[in-house]
Parts: sequence; C-alpha cells; structure tokens
Amino acid sequence: MSAGTHADRSVTAQGHYAGSVSRFLAYAIDITASSAVFGLALAAISYVAKVVTGHEVSWNKGNAIVAAVFVAWEFLYFGYSWAASGRTFGMAVLGIRVVMADGTPVDPRRGVLRAIVFPLSFLLCGLGFLGILVQRERRALHDLIAGTAVVYAWDARAARLRFLARETEPVTSRPD
Amino acid sequence: MTDPLETLAQGVAERVLDLIVHALDVNALVQRVDVNALVGRVDVNALMRQVDVNALLDQVDVSALLGRADVNALLDRVDVGALLSRVDVNDLMRRVDMDTLVEQTDLGAVIAKSSGGAATEALDAARGQAVGLDQFIDRWAQRVLRRKHPAPPGPPALLNGQAE
Repeated sequence: MSAGTHADRSVTAQGHYAGSVSRFLAYAIDITASSAVFGLALAAISYVAKVVTGHEVSWNKGNAIVAAVFVAWEFLYFGYSWAASGRTFGMAVLGIRVVMADGTPVDPRRGVLRAIVFPLSFLLCGLGFLGILVQRERRALHDLIAGTAVVYAWDARAARLRFLARETEPVTSRPD
Repeated sequence: MTDPLETLAQGVAERVLDLIVHALDVNALVQRVDVNALVGRVDVNALMRQVDVNALLDQVDVSALLGRADVNALLDRVDVGALLSRVDVNDLMRRVDMDTLVEQTDLGAVIAKSSGGAATEALDAARGQAVGLDQFIDRWAQRVLRRKHPAPPGPPALLNGQAE
C-alpha cells in the first residue's frame, strides 16, 4: 500500500472513531514515555538522597512506596492530559483525541474520571478493551463509564497536501 | 383660390379651440385620469417585443459611459465587510480541488519547503499506516460480528463539523 493511499484514507477518516491499532500504539508510547520520565526522576532523587545522606539509596519494583508513587504518577500523567487537552503525548503522536460521546471537547471532570476508571479495563483480564473492537462506537469500558470516545483528530488534509507537495516537488530541488 | 368663407370658418374654429384650451384646467383634468388603470391596459411585453434591444445597445458607447462613471466613488459606497459576511468561505473552500491545485501549480513546492521535514514525513506515514491497520482490523471485526447495520463512523458533532 502506498503512502498516497494511506493519506487518502486518513483524510476521509477525520472525526471518525479511532481504531485499536492507533489506540494501542498511543498507549504504548505513553507508558514508555511516562515510565522513562518516572525512572529519570527516581534516579535524580536517588542521587540527591545519596549526596545529602551519604548512603546508597536503592529503589526496586517491590518497594510499596515506589509502586504507589508510580501509580499516582501514571494517574497524574493520563488524568491531567485528558482533562487539559483530551490527548496524551502518545495520542498526540498518533493523532487521536478523547472527546465526549457526542463529539464535543472532553469535559475536564470526565477526563479525570476516565483516568480513574481506566485500570478497570485491565483488571477484567483486559476484556474492557474488547469494546474497541466489538462496540459500535469503538468505546472501551472506561470510555463507556466516563461518557467519552476516541477519534482521529490530526490534520490529515494538511498531511495529504504535504504528501502531494513531496510528489510534485521538482526533482532538481532534491539533494542527490 | 380658397373660398373666403372657408378661410373665415377655419379661422373661427382655430380661435374657438384656442379659447377652449386656455379655459381648460389641465391639472384638474390629469387628476381625474386613473393612471394605474391606464398603465394596466398597456401590454408592456408586446411593447418590449417591438424594441430591438441589440440595435439599441449598438448605439450605446459603453466605453464613453464607463469613462463617465467614477468607479472609485462607486467602490467607496460598497460595504465590502457586509458583502464578505454574506459569503460562506468554508463552502467556497470545500469546492476548491486542492489536489489539482497543488499538482498544477508551484504551491506544492511552497508547502514542501514550509512544512516538510523528515520527522513530519515519518509522522504522517506512521499515522497513515495506523489508520490503514485500524480499518483493516475493523473490517474483519465487522465480518466476524456479522453486523447487518453499519456502525456510525464517528460522533454526530464531529461528523456534522460542529465540534473540533
């Protein structure tokens, strides 16, 4: 499949419910990014603690406090992103956005609620995510509870123009 | 030779007519005329059919006419803001075939130079691929579920273009 075909499809998909691949990739990017930031912050705190106390501080995944802080951080990461702009970093990369079920911009309280009930989709053996595949509006369990939906929201028309522009760009202007 | 009696009679008649015309109150006479009824009886279409508009226009020196027109004064009287407010720019833009425009003009090169970049290109491609895979999986899900009625493609407000 050519890039042009994808660009055409993406233009017509604007405002439509986002599918499973885009949402999973966005989530994967978010988990990677948020974990990396958390890891860096933990390393920085450990270094400062070592300098101040003079003792080696070691954190591990079994530490209950670290786990609790990690959960809180993840909640803050997703909750704030959804409440403030309807999209996390990963969602911005994949060009998808959380909206209210009717398509209007997400209410901040609903964004926070979505972050609170998000783990429910995991706790039920991941069955909560099945809605993305089988539900008519591709809404997962946490979407149904929070009254939200996820849609394609990137400027695919501009992307299509960029694609056409690259195609029609004179060969002489391209570097060898 | 003219009959002197006939000449005299003609002179008397002219004099009498003169006196009658002077005695008539024309304004009062006109006031008694029902102009609307008079105009209603005129067949304007038949009248217009008899007029050779082309011949009429041929006689008009349009250049001279335009030369007499003060276009600047005319434009000063036009409320461009009100005029533009009546134009549905969104509808106008929707009618523009951007693909053809980009292909047939140098606009493509301008866009490529202003918004190009490896990162943007990669992002566009990744998003496009993800949408393609989404739709592929969705098609299979629809087949497995054997849905008789197609699901709505998106939220109503977004499909109607009311929300972002």
